[in-house]
Amino acid sequence: MNSVYIAGAGMTKFGRSEWPLMQLASVASLAALHHADLGDIPVDGVVVANMGAARVNKQTALGSALVDQLALYPATAESVENGPASGASAFKVGVQAIASGMADVVLVTGVERMRVVNGLEGTDFVASLSHPEAEYIYGVTLPSLAGMFARLYMDRYGVERKHLAMVAIKNHEHGTKNPYAHIRQTVTMEGILTLPEAAVNNPPIAEPLHLFDCCPVSDGAAALVLVSEAVAKKLKGPKVKVAGIGQATDTHTVHEREDPTDLKSVRLASEKAFKMAGLKPDNVDVAELHDAFTILEIAESEAAGFFPKGEGHKALERGDTKLGGKLPINPSGGLKAKGHPVGATGVAQLVELVWQLRGEAEGRQVEGAKVAYACNFGGFGNNVVATVLQREES
Amino acid sequence: MSEHVYAAKCTSCGAVSYPRHAVCPKCRNERFENVEVGGEGKVLTYTDVYALAIDFETRYLRLAMVELANGTRVTGQLLADEPKLGMKVKTIVDLVRDPGDRKLYGLQFLPA
Repeated sequence: MNSVYIAGAGMTKFGRSEWPLMQLASVASLAALHHADLGDIPVDGVVVANMGAARVNKQTALGSALVDQLALYPATAESVENGPASGASAFKVGVQAIASGMADVVLVTGVERMRVVNGLEGTDFVASLSHPEAEYIYGVTLPSLAGMFARLYMDRYGVERKHLAMVAIKNHEHGTKNPYAHIRQTVTMEGILTLPEAAVNNPPIAEPLHLFDCCPVSDGAAALVLVSEAVAKKLKGPKVKVAGIGQATDTHTVHEREDPTDLKSVRLASEKAFKMAGLKPDNVDVAELHDAFTILEIAESEAAGFFPKGEGHKALERGDTKLGGKLPINPSGGLKAKGHPVGATGVAQLVELVWQLRGEAEGRQVEGAKVAYACNFGGFGNNVVATVLQREES
Repeated sequence: MSEHVYAAKCTSCGAVSYPRHAVCPKCRNERFENVEVGGEGKVLTYTDVYALAIDFETRYLRLAMVELANGTRVTGQLLADEPKLGMKVKTIVDLVRDPGDRKLYGLQFLPA
């Protein structure tokens, strides 16, 4: 396959937005296109990632709508709905278009505007990805799957609520350094766990997970401009190469997995991505993981191959995963602080990593980052896309 | 929705799948017979979830994954005041959700 490069990255601030869906998508797209500075090189195709617009925004065919907003006709247009992995899936569709030689320039935009409905409706729309007869009818929501996962995981590996709180504290701290983050305030162990007031500040959502173990519900958009090697050579900016992509699926219901604490799809997707890149987890300088729930950052950091199984929380205790540590995880603030506009998330993770690899992540830059990894976790682990990016010296 | 919950038993290899798949995950056979899900089991994990869809009127729901005596695993509602990992439960089938337009029956777990 032909090499694929990311020439531009942009996003909107995440949070509650008054902008209509397509305005969010357009603003992020234009930021990425300006970043890429394509001159008169045309955009061949557009891929839009989104999960809930058909239901919560009453809008479909977002790819066509974005081409229209950006007046990119007659560019090709696709929409990708793949649950919370929609973003990285859309990215993969764009990469395949260029790798196959069918396109030279593809714009990939993820967008979600879910605060337009109330929290209960938003939770229910995301819960519709669970198994309709064997999970959903019982009241299963994503937080409940995460709660059941966390209880078993914590019991088996000696992870305590203080470790979950450490993920929240770290990612909120990182989020204060990211102007695009939904939540830009620090939290403390006292405030969310040890003081009596913590019971009020941090109520249970799905025991043993509490409010500060869960990402916020956000609106937002993120975009990437993918180009062929021939186009990349004509552009001025630093070259970020798509070194590897891996994807893996698992059973729809969580209970059917041989070991419900094993994020097998993360493991398999990551192995594929590293194999394609010819790299190892040890080579990674910075990572964005899908911390929709704090426990997931710990579990994914192990399944991706950064730490042995059951030792992710020890790496967290040592400070390895903080900015300035051996392997900074979620310098953007992660889903926890940056926010989680579902369809935009997988794209936004890569936007952060492109900025990191180009040395443009002001205030939260991982110095000299050359290799970056992202895990976009769909379903409750039934569809995962892992990506490895690499800065190429010109 | 019936007041029974059925798993699919593969007519070729005998593997029991819950929920049913169109193809047996073990041997790829496409024929199954219904076997009723129920009996005793143990709680694999559980949660009290407060983030619920709007049609639930309770403040929270206690949900669990249970491993039944025959090894089949199921998810359902746990009706136990003092839940514990590994606790023994028995299954019943009852109304689990009433979104208004239909009544949904499914698995509930009681202390055994």
